[in-house]
Amino acid sequence: MKRISDLSSFNDVREAGLSKLLPDRPRIAIGMGTCGTGNGAESVYHAFADAINTRGLGMNLARTGCFGFCAAEPLVNVYLPGKPLVILQRVQPNDVPGILDDLASGRMPTGLALCKIEEWDHITGHVRFGVGLPEIPHWHEVPFFTGQKKIVLRNCGLINPNEIDEYIAIGGYQALYKVLIDNNPDMVIEAVKAAKLRGRGGAGYQTGIKWEFLRKAQSERKYIICNADEGDPGAYMNRNEIESDPHSLIEGMIIGGYVMGATEGILYVRAEYPLAVHRLNSAIEQARECGLLGDNILGRGFRFDLQLVEGAGAFVCGEETALIRSLEGKAGRPTPRPPYPAEHGLYGCPTNINNVETWYNIAPIVIKGPGWFTETGSAKSPGTKVFSLVGKVNNTGLVEMPLGTPLKTFVYDVGGGGTHGRAIKAVQTGGPSGGCIPQEMFDTPVDYESLGQLGSIMGSGGMVVMDEDNCMVDVARYFIEFTHSESCGKCIPCRVGLDKSLYYLNRITQGKGTEADFDLLDDLSRMIRDTSLCGLGQTAPNPVLTTMRHFRHEFEDHIRAARCRAGVCEDLALSPCENSCPLHMNIPRFLQLLKEDRLEEAFVSVVMDNPLPASTGRVCQHPCDNRCRRTGVDSAVNMREVHRYIADAIYPSDRFDALASDIAARRKPLTGKRCAVVGAGPTGLACAFYLCMLGHEVMVYDSNPAAGGMLRYALPDYRLPKDVLDREVELIRRTGVQFTFNTQVPRDVSLNDLDGQYDAVFLSIGTWKESWVYLPGTELTGVIPALPFLEAVSKEQPVPLGKRVTVIGGGNAAIDSARTALRLGSKVTIIYRRERKDMPAIPEETEAAEAEGAEIVFLATPHRIVGGPDGRVQAIEAVRTKLGEYDSSGRRRPMPTNEIIRFACDTVILAVGETVDLDFAKASGLKIKESGLIEVDRYTLETSRSKFYAGGDLITGASNVSNAMGYGKKAARNIDRRLMNVRRWEEVFPSFEYDQAPPAHASEAPRHHVEEVDAAQRATTFAEATIGLAPVDAMEEACRCLRCDVRNGDH
Amino acid sequence: MTPALLSDSPPRSSPLSFEEQDFIDRLIVQHRGRPGMLLSLLEAIQERQPNKYLPVEVLDYLAARTGIPGAQIYSVATFYSLFNLKPQGEHTVCICRGTACHTRGSRNLLERVKLQLGLKEEDEDGSAEKMCATTADRRFTVRTVACFGQCALAPVAEIDHSILGHVNERALEREVDAIKRGGQR
Repeated sequence: MKRISDLSSFNDVREAGLSKLLPDRPRIAIGMGTCGTGNGAESVYHAFADAINTRGLGMNLARTGCFGFCAAEPLVNVYLPGKPLVILQRVQPNDVPGILDDLASGRMPTGLALCKIEEWDHITGHVRFGVGLPEIPHWHEVPFFTGQKKIVLRNCGLINPNEIDEYIAIGGYQALYKVLIDNNPDMVIEAVKAAKLRGRGGAGYQTGIKWEFLRKAQSERKYIICNADEGDPGAYMNRNEIESDPHSLIEGMIIGGYVMGATEGILYVRAEYPLAVHRLNSAIEQARECGLLGDNILGRGFRFDLQLVEGAGAFVCGEETALIRSLEGKAGRPTPRPPYPAEHGLYGCPTNINNVETWYNIAPIVIKGPGWFTETGSAKSPGTKVFSLVGKVNNTGLVEMPLGTPLKTFVYDVGGGGTHGRAIKAVQTGGPSGGCIPQEMFDTPVDYESLGQLGSIMGSGGMVVMDEDNCMVDVARYFIEFTHSESCGKCIPCRVGLDKSLYYLNRITQGKGTEADFDLLDDLSRMIRDTSLCGLGQTAPNPVLTTMRHFRHEFEDHIRAARCRAGVCEDLALSPCENSCPLHMNIPRFLQLLKEDRLEEAFVSVVMDNPLPASTGRVCQHPCDNRCRRTGVDSAVNMREVHRYIADAIYPSDRFDALASDIAARRKPLTGKRCAVVGAGPTGLACAFYLCMLGHEVMVYDSNPAAGGMLRYALPDYRLPKDVLDREVELIRRTGVQFTFNTQVPRDVSLNDLDGQYDAVFLSIGTWKESWVYLPGTELTGVIPALPFLEAVSKEQPVPLGKRVTVIGGGNAAIDSARTALRLGSKVTIIYRRERKDMPAIPEETEAAEAEGAEIVFLATPHRIVGGPDGRVQAIEAVRTKLGEYDSSGRRRPMPTNEIIRFACDTVILAVGETVDLDFAKASGLKIKESGLIEVDRYTLETSRSKFYAGGDLITGASNVSNAMGYGKKAARNIDRRLMNVRRWEEVFPSFEYDQAPPAHASEAPRHHVEEVDAAQRATTFAEATIGLAPVDAMEEACRCLRCDVRNGDH
Repeated sequence: MTPALLSDSPPRSSPLSFEEQDFIDRLIVQHRGRPGMLLSLLEAIQERQPNKYLPVEVLDYLAARTGIPGAQIYSVATFYSLFNLKPQGEHTVCICRGTACHTRGSRNLLERVKLQLGLKEEDEDGSAEKMCATTADRRFTVRTVACFGQCALAPVAEIDHSILGHVNERALEREVDAIKRGGQR
């Protein structure tokens, strides 16, 4: 490389670079940051190189850095002279021949196109590629990039980081040239001050002021340091910046050295970033060769040199005084400030330390001026910041946004929401020094002050998205574990305090924590924050303090109920599936018993955990599927269908009678206590079963003539045949549960009567009242609510159903109504206001409805029901909606458009949700919440009236069978504890001996699905629509279990 | 204070080979007087060792040749997680314990690979967050790293310096099996 000593040689290099960026033949550039190579970019590069070589094609091939959209790597830029630059995504080696064919014949390969760039503002320069290709979106039209402003990342992914001339071609080192020619360092410092550029490492101190300190410091030797010891787990923007554009960093530092009067600069880079170290070293070498480092830079008489030092894996070296000690050849332990490094830094000389990203902002400020810089971002925090958006979000990658952008823009608009459609719970910002911000606060603008107010910090820019599968107590513990092991040990608050914090957090995650521990942890955290020597200790408690503040209920769950809802804290759960099951069934046990061919014991295991297994085996929402660790291998074990298989193999068989007697014989001796259960639905049945097994006398009241509640009167026969339910109720009856049917509480029996006759009363009447939508036309004949419709069909009463039915809603009741109407011979259309993925109904049910002929119209909100002169429904009109902003549930809000769609119909079924019968709640005299639900203690299910407990839909609103039963089971446990004053719950359950060794290898069998009856055939009958697993399939399914319940070291 | 200089005193008798002494002497000359000298020396020396560690004889030699007190060198070698004072396995499996990897289940990966290689708690050095354990036959070292900065590919593991992104238990098990069977990956 030629040495640059004047403007003409500078321009020569520039021309050479431009001819590489905009050659007169095709150019292919592969994104080869570490993220690209980790996704296979290396083999893509070689595939291109080999093919170009073999086919003798006149094309240029280059390596570039990362354009930021890591989730879509490997990214490949293709350029044809005169056409826009096109970025291809997820390119694999076998795509290469096709791409080359296209390019060789002058066509742009559009199949894998992510976006196009017609011209690019490098800030220091401007490149025009070409126009055209209307079928490909502009880069900023891709949701991931919309709203991004690339100042720091201006060159990343567009130039070859190994070629200095490409950097110079897009205006690189011009800012340095200008500064050297202007020869007015104070003016540069004034510009940085006026730009209000704040340190991007996290603390946010004014860079210009810091620079002024060093400039004014009197010393023969001064140092400037770039802190590239990016140690925050979850943050990797500095790695990408250095790998993709090392010269911008070098230029920023040379300018800094010149204006502050330093002749030596040090880059302290994390050793875990080998590629960044390599690229930076080679960039330094090239800069030296070109005369941009060393003596007489650009022929202007200034001497400055850079040296790279690799850190050695100590997080605390991100603290400036520790970093300095590290460079001095000592352990990286911080020292008190003052004296600040600007007076007394490396080897006692005045020293300036800035974060990588701070240096990247220098050249743009010099070229464009502070006025331009402050146009972006907020008043107090101008400019942009690069964030690494990672964790449970769809679009992961590096995002450069103006400061002050609301958090929800990052998570939903750019990030595309949670993975697998899961609800997002929080975002962790600032790494171990930051905190967790709950979803309700996603309107918060991301800048230094706003995040500080929530107890978090912006930090170096890590943004880790967490969903419902993440336990916030575990997250707090995780960070303390990290800072605890990274504490240098110099000061006591940090060394001892974090050790104690970890001790208490461990206790809490093990279910051994007390409320006193919680308070102590709070005090301790504040003490560590206020008294530690350096930034590490002062900020280390932030993750604990913020989770305690914003997720207190999760701490309470761990402490009061030894429960981790996310299923992360292993000591609080048998296995992830057990933890996710509302009934906490011991799933690995029944799978293993079946595997050992012990069907009868498997049945006892299942029934004792869940007294309605044939029902739940058919209709449960199977949350266990989402948590099964087997998904890490292939897909979840089909646990729901295996327990259905076990139940179905016993109930109708001749073994049932003996097993039912065995179970009834396990009932504990009579206690003399009497309990009433109001409502014979799944919640009440579960509660009654366990109370009875515990030896109490139990009477169940129900207004209907038979037991089952919604299972009997809302679930259609094709989903749950009633003879199956009858068998289950019979087993419960045989344990001794008594029923009083056709009796409504409080109409026929008052709460006071119950109070007088019983020692405890459990209320579980469910949500039988259909919510009403207030639309013009709901008064017309032919508008019917879903639940009464389903109830009438199940009771074989006549229903006023027409030929064309429209169902409004997207829950299970809507789908059940639709499939029932189909079976009664109607044509059915379902109108749902959101998208398919937002439907609360079980996806399999929705798919089955469609297969049977139901039409589903998404994104439409009913507007009015049109009636004829006879007062009967003639049609329904709906407004087309489009997706608007994300609402607090993390789903995009449907916004009305001007388009009205009309469906001719004679019946409208409203299935928009069910609610509690408010009359009952009010008449009960119990404390109710604003929503009309009964208020209970979250942990004991006690209501405001002593002796009275409530559970199921009555306290949660409409939910599902398994959730409801979980409440019944929990209530029985708490009622027994209160009545007997001793813990005897576990005594009811039999113990089983079974193999405790996990399989050496995951079995090869894929997941088995139930067989569905042919759609055309099943749609005409109420006979069951699915056929359970065959014995051999059920056995194979059981063998697929990885036995997470067996802990390492147990055997 | 000034950077440590090469000691003028002649080297004491050292168990190191002449070649090794020569390598270290050259390194010292190359880095003499520069900030970060000691870190750079230790990094380069460890990298050259076949078992990627710093034998105590090397630390002694370095102290004698640089004049840096042995205690200070030992302090640095034990402070930074990059340095090993025990020989490492032929192959290294490194599991990222960064936040993104943690939220995507890297703990299970670590447990799985430890189980697969028969590593027990007592083989481990350091806490759960800085775990490092080597199999008795020295074929494998399993360790953790605070963060690779590969968060978009989480969970991430690294086997002998090559990154595996979006890795699951089965994929990791297969990779390790392949090495165990003696073949190249």
